[in-house]
Amino acid sequence: MRTVDERARELTPPSTPALRLRGISKRYGPVVASDDVDLDVEHGEIHGLLGENGAGKSTLMKILLGLVQRDSGTIMRGDTPVDVHNPQAAVALGIGMVHQHFSLIDALTVWENVILGDTGRIDRAAACRQVEEVSRRYGLPIDPAARVDRLSAGERQRVELIKCLRRDPSVLILDEPTSVLTQAESAELFTVLRHVVRAENRAVILISHKLAEITAATDRVTVLRKGRVVFHSATRDTTPPELARWMVGRDVSLRAEGAALGMLPVDGAPPAGTAPAETASPGTPPSEDTPPTEPPAEPPAEPAAAPAPPAVAAAPGVPSGGAATEIVPALRLSGLTVTTDGVTVLSDLSLDVAPGEIVGLYGVEGNGQSTLGDLLSGLLLPASGTVELAGRPVELERPGALHRAGLGIIPEDRHSSGVVLDMSVAENLVMKSVGDVSGRGFVSRRKMHAVARRLAAEFNIVAPSLDAPVRSLSGGNQQRVVLARELSAGPCVLVAAQPTHGLDVGAIEDMYRRLREAASGGVAVLLISTELEEVMALASRIAVISSGRITGVLPTAEATAERLGMLVGGVAA
Amino acid sequence: MSAADDISTILSSGIRLAVPLALAACGEYLAERAGTMNISLEAMMLGAAFGSVATASATGSATAGLVAGVLIGLVIGFVHGNLAHRLEINTFVVGLVLNALMLGLTSYLITISSFDSHQVAQVSVPWLRDIPLIGHPLFVERWPVYLLILVIPLTWWLVERSRWGLELRAVGEQPQAADVTGIRVNLRRRQALLWCGALAGLGGAYLAVGEVGSFNQNMTAGRGYIVIAAVIFGAWRLGRTLLGCALFGLADAMRLALPALGLTLNSQLLVVAPYLLALLAMLVFATGNREPKALGQPFERGST
Ligand SMILES: Nc1ncnc2c1ncn2[C@@H]1O[C@H](COP(=O)(O)OP(=O)(O)OP(=O)(O)O)[C@@H](O)[C@H]1O
Ligand SMILES: [Mg+2]
Repeated sequence: MRTVDERARELTPPSTPALRLRGISKRYGPVVASDDVDLDVEHGEIHGLLGENGAGKSTLMKILLGLVQRDSGTIMRGDTPVDVHNPQAAVALGIGMVHQHFSLIDALTVWENVILGDTGRIDRAAACRQVEEVSRRYGLPIDPAARVDRLSAGERQRVELIKCLRRDPSVLILDEPTSVLTQAESAELFTVLRHVVRAENRAVILISHKLAEITAATDRVTVLRKGRVVFHSATRDTTPPELARWMVGRDVSLRAEGAALGMLPVDGAPPAGTAPAETASPGTPPSEDTPPTEPPAEPPAEPAAAPAPPAVAAAPGVPSGGAATEIVPALRLSGLTVTTDGVTVLSDLSLDVAPGEIVGLYGVEGNGQSTLGDLLSGLLLPASGTVELAGRPVELERPGALHRAGLGIIPEDRHSSGVVLDMSVAENLVMKSVGDVSGRGFVSRRKMHAVARRLAAEFNIVAPSLDAPVRSLSGGNQQRVVLARELSAGPCVLVAAQPTHGLDVGAIEDMYRRLREAASGGVAVLLISTELEEVMALASRIAVISSGRITGVLPTAEATAERLGMLVGGVAA
Repeated sequence: MSAADDISTILSSGIRLAVPLALAACGEYLAERAGTMNISLEAMMLGAAFGSVATASATGSATAGLVAGVLIGLVIGFVHGNLAHRLEINTFVVGLVLNALMLGLTSYLITISSFDSHQVAQVSVPWLRDIPLIGHPLFVERWPVYLLILVIPLTWWLVERSRWGLELRAVGEQPQAADVTGIRVNLRRRQALLWCGALAGLGGAYLAVGEVGSFNQNMTAGRGYIVIAAVIFGAWRLGRTLLGCALFGLADAMRLALPALGLTLNSQLLVVAPYLLALLAMLVFATGNREPKALGQPFERGST
């Protein structure tokens, strides 16, 4: 298959690129977001665009889409220079984009979102049919009649993809399209994407922090750093470690890299078909390079399994933690049931997390994780069940009760519930501890800035200034703002939902270190993740969630891809 | 016999009082779904009321007056739209200024001019008007009342079923996302204001050449604000909004009828009673937060 593809490419004459950028520059005040960027994207190729958080990837793409005006440089479609001064012009030129944030209307249904921006009469039946057809063709299952605000992050991403692909763009830009998809979903997407790109001769620009995706799915790759192109190569002539080095400007630890690479095959759908050559080489699970977890911090790390509620007890392989009876779990979820619109999203979910322990809640996107996250953020109430912190039940009806009881949360959708986009970086950083930076009822700007400056430095937040609105930060840096705030509030329980989505390799490494530090400092960490290698690398126990139920809890040492795969499939092994 | 007659009379005048509100509400509802809190509704109604009387007097045709009212509403909608959604001046400020301006202007103009009285024709539907109790109120009315039969479903269809309406809703909810999708956000909002202006103008004109035949100072007396309240307490649903308007109309009719029925109440209290009643009813019915998320927020590209 590969050879056929290769030949097909060699047969097509070295025609003019689909898209050619010359000397594109863009400054935001003192920040140079794009610095004299040259980029060629050919028909029928997937072009990978890599770079740290804030390297200027999204800015460059927004320029292509007419959302941001460049300071200088030319954009050429084929041989003709074009002027893309607004999104309508980009659509007319056949440039489509799946955005990192912001392009679905929550209050509308899937099919309404998909046809938004078309012209002509609305034909609901035809629209639904088209959605279904595109979704079948690309393997992105979705209910066309569902309202978007009811969908999980993964499902929304699917809608974004469907919306974009349905318009049949000749240049398709995907800005971190898979950050919320499971590995299997991503693999499937890339298989289809690659095939369709070849068959239909489209050009694709793919932005991703996952090096494995880049190496598996792209033909050529460009690395941006501080707005400049620092590296450019055919993908098959480079390696993930080399790319990571170009991105960050230093060597990156193996484990973080392993996670960024996303190499472990998951639940019986190994991405083998997608990644012919590359997957094999560095595709060793982190557990073979390094021990899967930190040498467990001895005293409290043993799971407090003794008073465990039924669901946990029923699970295989939970070590009955001997003398651990004394330890009160820092976080205890018991019998949580949530139903929305008659659908049971969480059903009798019980889980304990001991102080100093990291428990990974692993499962495929859309199995109740986001509901659990919302519940622990205080956004919704369970129909039944309780949440206990340090042995004390929390009155969930009271706003802010969870926060006051010492629960910190890194929400899954940081963009909508993690930060206030129009408030400044400093304000967002101190938001949960306003008391500490104010005297006599007024916020002291001096104190606020001192705290914010410290956190920004500690968490490497790159911002034009501390007074700039969070909106003006790059996606990854917005993320760091949430992390910095939650970790600095000194929680005794930390819930981290998909904490590394959208982070670059360096930042992932940093995040892992911080979560481990938090745990060894006695914080109980609940890590909600769809990335197997992430839970394997961090957690000491892995609970698997499927259809809103915990199907099993395994100590990481006993967790194999097969056993987890069965649990993920809902088979209580 | 007299009780039934009384009810019939109150119903009749209730409907007449509610019609201008309902017309304007259809406009305001659409504008708000597109994200504009259109305060200048009052100016639209007042200006149209004056313009319709002046035009009717000049041409001798009340229908021409109605048309003039619609045009004046359109002009005010156009001005508001361009100030708020092109020059990006705060929509509330624009609205308040337009309202003050229109009140001053019409108050002045009415003192220096005199107009003949003209009223649009009455329609009386045979057979149906003889239905006891509701026959007369529903089937003996000035003809613009029956425009509602067209305007209400049309407004609903436009918002809920047409592509234009889909884009309006998108623009009212998440303008940044709508923009990224290729919808011209500010253009849509200006268009929505034109629809609003036309209907508010019709409502204002009906108030003057439909009901009374003449214009007096500050004729609308805050009806524009009542409509805005109806949309808000109606939780941005057309049905509930119209219900609020009907309630206000009925309460207002009661106020007018009470003295005739021999009941005396403090007259100041009587004047505020319909407002209070409408407010209370809307509070009781108000449910859920369905406010368009970008209501009242200006849109500017690039702040994504
Ligand atoms: N509207 C804006 N105003 C000011 N600065 C901005 C604005 N948008 C982006 N920037 C700055 O431009 C730089 C590049 O941002 P960009 O969003 O392109 O990064 P990115 O490569 O997409 O990063 P990530 O991987 O985190 O999404 C950042 O330093 C960011 O703070
Ligand atoms: Mg980005």
